[in-house]
Amino acid sequence: MSTDVSTPSSAPTPEPAEPSATKVARRILPSPVTGQEWVLVAIVVALWIVLSIATPAFGSASSWQPLLSSVAPIALMGVGMTMIIITGGIDVSVGGALMVAGVTTAKLLVDQGVSLPVAVVAAAVLGLVLGLVNGFLIAYGRVHAIIITFGTANLFQFVGRQIFASQTVNGIPGTLDFFGRGEAGRTLGLPHSFVLTLLVAVGAWIWLRHNRSGRHLYAIGGDPTAARLAGIQVQRLTLMTYAATGLLVGIAAVFTVASGTSTLDQTIGSGRELAVIAAVVIGGTSITGGRGSVLGTVLGALLVQIVASGVTQLGWPSQLSDFFVGVAIAIAVGADLIRQRARQQR
Amino acid sequence: MNLKTTGKATTVVALAAALALTGCTKKNDTTTPDAGGTASGAPAGAPKKIAFVPKLQGIPYFEAMNTGGQAAAKALGIQWLYQGPTTADAAAQAQIVRSYIQQKVDTIIVAPNDPNSMAPVLQQAKDAGIKVLTSDTDAPTSVRQAFVSQASTDGIGTGLTDALAKAMGSKGTYAIVSCGETAQNLNSWIAVQKKVTADKYKDMTIVDTVYAGEDQGKATQMATDLMNAHPDLTGLVGECTSSAPGVAQAVKDAGKIGKVFTVGLGTPKSMAPYLTDGSSSASILWDVQNLGYLTAWAGLQAAENKDLQATNNVNAQMSAVTYDSASKVLLLGPPLVITKDNVSQFNY
Repeated sequence: MSTDVSTPSSAPTPEPAEPSATKVARRILPSPVTGQEWVLVAIVVALWIVLSIATPAFGSASSWQPLLSSVAPIALMGVGMTMIIITGGIDVSVGGALMVAGVTTAKLLVDQGVSLPVAVVAAAVLGLVLGLVNGFLIAYGRVHAIIITFGTANLFQFVGRQIFASQTVNGIPGTLDFFGRGEAGRTLGLPHSFVLTLLVAVGAWIWLRHNRSGRHLYAIGGDPTAARLAGIQVQRLTLMTYAATGLLVGIAAVFTVASGTSTLDQTIGSGRELAVIAAVVIGGTSITGGRGSVLGTVLGALLVQIVASGVTQLGWPSQLSDFFVGVAIAIAVGADLIRQRARQQR
Repeated sequence: MNLKTTGKATTVVALAAALALTGCTKKNDTTTPDAGGTASGAPAGAPKKIAFVPKLQGIPYFEAMNTGGQAAAKALGIQWLYQGPTTADAAAQAQIVRSYIQQKVDTIIVAPNDPNSMAPVLQQAKDAGIKVLTSDTDAPTSVRQAFVSQASTDGIGTGLTDALAKAMGSKGTYAIVSCGETAQNLNSWIAVQKKVTADKYKDMTIVDTVYAGEDQGKATQMATDLMNAHPDLTGLVGECTSSAPGVAQAVKDAGKIGKVFTVGLGTPKSMAPYLTDGSSSASILWDVQNLGYLTAWAGLQAAENKDLQATNNVNAQMSAVTYDSASKVLLLGPPLVITKDNVSQFNY
């Protein structure tokens, strides 16, 4: 802790260190696409081909269009979660936040009859506020993220239930159909929700790879004390990752309500934090922080849904998809450990 | 923050209005027959305390039961107590039952999350001189003196199959989107559906049964996958309140209304849009408020040590409720078939 106290005094150092830091950053910048991502692309393509042959309609638009709509909310939240996990944190409250943002959005649609842009902005702002709550507590409270977000997860669920007030939200209008699973939710055959998710993911990928503060997230995850001593604004960046995740959860809530039925019940968001973390881990992001990629996360989310849909379309028992996801997580974590060992031996 | 508070306030007002409304309707419906009931119950002195412990508090299904119970309390002159856990947790539920034992209520009625772990707690209640019943979900191995059943397994399974057969023209293939893989009531209904399909509808076949958990989104996606996997599929069953609207939504999204027919166990409000646009043909359920009323009524009979008759006149709506003394099951009646024609009658 004494080293922390001395940090402010060493804060001015970054100015002279800046040019060298960028130079170093450029020199050590990893290849644009990691090995894990290539492996995932290969698996996704292979599964796609195999399932297209083995089932009557897996490769058809009527199958992959709704599939991509299903992937969108998980992948979008995964983009934020990847940034958090890269810094060595975690957020297990995204399910609860999704519930609060989702039920509020649904209620605004039903009770106030708000338009699509208003619903999106309201959900995003609400998500951002919830993310800021997490971010402030974690960045300035100095308690481990899993404890804080476990607490806020329960808090958010409580708030969500209060808003539900023991009822389902019925008669949700089709205002959000632009992000839904139906024909209105697609342009040129591509679901809008998935396209938006991809745009966000690519933006985050560029930022994480080519922007200085983006690179700083990796430094924080690698060694927060060293990062602080190097003049990185650890607290501000930490706060930012949780706030960004909250905002993305808000938009994911819009996707969830849009692709859901006309009734919203209290199960919204339930278990989503685990689905999101699974996508991040399968995507090759190290759960201990310091390494990871948002593109891997999108691929991870895609892989999980392909497996789930594949199991159903093949007529296999439903619980097998949980088994395959478990195996994928085990392999991904194993591969990460092996890479870590290899690096240490170098 | 402002936004949230407003939303909540609106809900509270809406809820209060809904409750007031149901309370009134219910009371008006039942005043006449109850007058006699209250008169005979009145000499007992202090109102009997009848406590109902649902699986889960705060979901529309049990709130509707609570509304029925409250209506019965007004009509029968009893004190109706209602409390359940906020998650479907057996231990938390047992804790609530224990607190009712300490409060020395007259009757405890439970819809157990886990019938086996609830049994010893119910034994404690009986030892304390409290009458014990189950409702909605039975604990057959416990000391409960009767089970208030919403509908028979045969009734639900046959009702679902008949409704789907009617929509599908008694031919073609269909699939079932169930929920919890170990949910005993769902599985027993599915068993009946399989049997009825095989015996009664020779030209219909069930191609697959999948399990989506209590997840609407997953149910929707699985229904989509089933339609893709079986291009000749013309029917889908949503086996629980989350998958019933889910399968209908999938049919609607795929633009297959009129080609793929769905039925399910859905609550009226959640099914109304789908029944109207034709993506759902029928919903099989029971009158949940009446079940709550019947539960409270049965609780009072137990508290007053009155034996249940083979046929019981509960109120105007439930004039011939049957009781099977061998299995100790009080049966609400045949399941309710909810279609686009009668869906607007229900307010839950």
